[in-house]
Amino acid sequence: MPIYITGPMLLQGVVSGLLAGGLYAMVALGLALVFGVMRVINLAHGTLLMLGSYTTYWLFALYGMNPFLSLFLSFPILFVVGGVLQKVFVHRVVNAPELSSLLLTFGISILIANLAMLGWTSDYRSVEFLTGSFLLGPIALSKPRLVTFGLALAITGLAFLLLNKTKIGKAIRATSQQRDVAQVCGINVRRIDLITFGLGAGLAGVGGSLVSVMFSIFPEMGQVYVFKSFLVIVLGGAGNYPGAFFGGLILGVVEGLASLLLSAQLSEVIAYMLLVIVLLVRPTGLFRGRI
Amino acid sequence: MRRALGGYRRGEWVVFLGLALAVFTWEMASAQAPIKIGASISLTGTYAKLGSYTQDGYQLCAKEVNDKGGLLGRKMEFVIYDDRSEPPTAIKLYEKLITEDKVELVMGPYSSPITNAASTVSEKHKKIMMASLAATTSIWERGFKYLFMTISPAEVYMEGLVELAAQAGLKTVAVINEDTLFSKAAAKGAVDLAKKKGMQVLLHEAYPKGTTDFSAVLIKMKALNPDVIMAGSYFDDAVATTRQMKELDVNPKMYGVTVGGDVPDFGYQLGRTSDYVYGSTQWTETLRYPGAREFTDNYKKMFNREFSYHAPAAYGACRVFTEAIRRANSLDSDKIREQLLKLKTTTAFGDYQVDERGFQTAHKMVLLQWQEGKRVTVWPAHLADGKLIYPMPPWSQRR
Repeated sequence: MPIYITGPMLLQGVVSGLLAGGLYAMVALGLALVFGVMRVINLAHGTLLMLGSYTTYWLFALYGMNPFLSLFLSFPILFVVGGVLQKVFVHRVVNAPELSSLLLTFGISILIANLAMLGWTSDYRSVEFLTGSFLLGPIALSKPRLVTFGLALAITGLAFLLLNKTKIGKAIRATSQQRDVAQVCGINVRRIDLITFGLGAGLAGVGGSLVSVMFSIFPEMGQVYVFKSFLVIVLGGAGNYPGAFFGGLILGVVEGLASLLLSAQLSEVIAYMLLVIVLLVRPTGLFRGRI
Repeated sequence: MRRALGGYRRGEWVVFLGLALAVFTWEMASAQAPIKIGASISLTGTYAKLGSYTQDGYQLCAKEVNDKGGLLGRKMEFVIYDDRSEPPTAIKLYEKLITEDKVELVMGPYSSPITNAASTVSEKHKKIMMASLAATTSIWERGFKYLFMTISPAEVYMEGLVELAAQAGLKTVAVINEDTLFSKAAAKGAVDLAKKKGMQVLLHEAYPKGTTDFSAVLIKMKALNPDVIMAGSYFDDAVATTRQMKELDVNPKMYGVTVGGDVPDFGYQLGRTSDYVYGSTQWTETLRYPGAREFTDNYKKMFNREFSYHAPAAYGACRVFTEAIRRANSLDSDKIREQLLKLKTTTAFGDYQVDERGFQTAHKMVLLQWQEGKRVTVWPAHLADGKLIYPMPPWSQRR
């Protein structure tokens, strides 16, 4: 059954891919920050995202709160959750071999996901708030995805402002570049760790809030975002924060086009082939330099 | 010295008597012990929702059998573990149930892929597996001796929709499916049925389990603009496809899903977006099978929630199984097998009869349509309790 891919279909594929990519970029930025500063690969990132989704869900289901407004709650809530996790568990593995941090965060993610399952059951839930699309000729712009994309871009922009313009942001970048030197220069790296982990968790939480308007919510929903975030970070280059942003958009478009031109099954193959190729050819990521 | 009591000393007698008494009471106790029936069910993961109904069906069956004096004079008791919707986990669990927990009987898990895997274990140990929720024909083409089927096969899930589409004079169809055993078979069946009715299949594409974003395949559908879209789906993918169909403004005249569409949550999650969607189902509350109404009442009383066909299917399978055991008057696999092959009965779930492979031949499918947030049976005509609303209006003209 040959299908002729027309121009508008390609355009729609790119648009859908970009809309998905904006969210990937924001979620991946949280993971990249934590890795950059602490060299901790946070496998619980997806679980934190799931907590963000449930925050939005419950606020919506119980109090009828606008899911897009609930960002202002899911960010601080997850910031605190992240801070507590860092203070209690993660700070113990900051200078340890990477395997320790993998095991620890993997354990945390299993623990939280199972608690969520106990507390909220594994039923699929959804926030039926904004549906449908704007039609621009042959192109359909999904309303929830458009709003989500805009918010993800805005929040990513705020995060970059924080990183580039504020004192604390500069301290985070300094710690990420050279932990020891930063410490010698008088930066309290323990405090930076705490803030960074909170920030990473907060970004995951906001990601979860945004995901909840588009997809079903369940305790194990986060996993797929951890994998995607890894991909994004590799594409962008570890420690390269703007790279993570473009990596996210690239992943979205590649996935969108691959499943349009080939099939949904092959799109994951293509995405991970891209990962392998980038690791082989440009292990520092597609974008040179770091900030 | 003369020996008391036929050659035994008194001390020896006491020991002997005590031992005999102990053996006797132990025998009594084990005769009174409940019959343990093992099963793994998906209580977490992709199939969790549907798995939970399966579990409810088993529990309700056990309760009713026990209330009426039990099975062969003993209580029955389910031992259920969570297979996390993963076939390899189910294999391990059935192995544990049979070899470590020493359950005397087993019943099937939820879903075709998991039954396909788990039945290799029950077959190896020569245990009957009463498969309550596996609908894929190929599972019964492996020559297994102890595997029995309850529900209608996957290939006929879309029969009703194809028939209604043919009546409406529709010509083109597009089919998507999750790339797993049951969904693949359902989609293949839908394609074959459509071709038989002279319809043209414009697209047939699979997606991996766990897919959440269906944009790409829906873009293709939008370009092809088929009259009918059929999805070989489970629950979460059925919800996602429907929602994204609205987002991308894909407007078929008829759109049906195989499994998710008959679950109450489909309506709760989608709200009015669920309207006009067809779902095929093995059972609805409005069917007048003997005991069906009692089942519905008892279910709601016991679990205090709505349910989908998975619950009565599991319940019906369990009732058929216990009936066969009663007739065999034994827990011996070969004796029960003989009865299950012969048995012809109707439970609250509908008709049961199998061929020599254990493959279901009597049970009937129905098609429902979501109308104003409610499920209405629209096919076959003699079982319908409402009229179908056709065609599905374009999304832009809906609220």
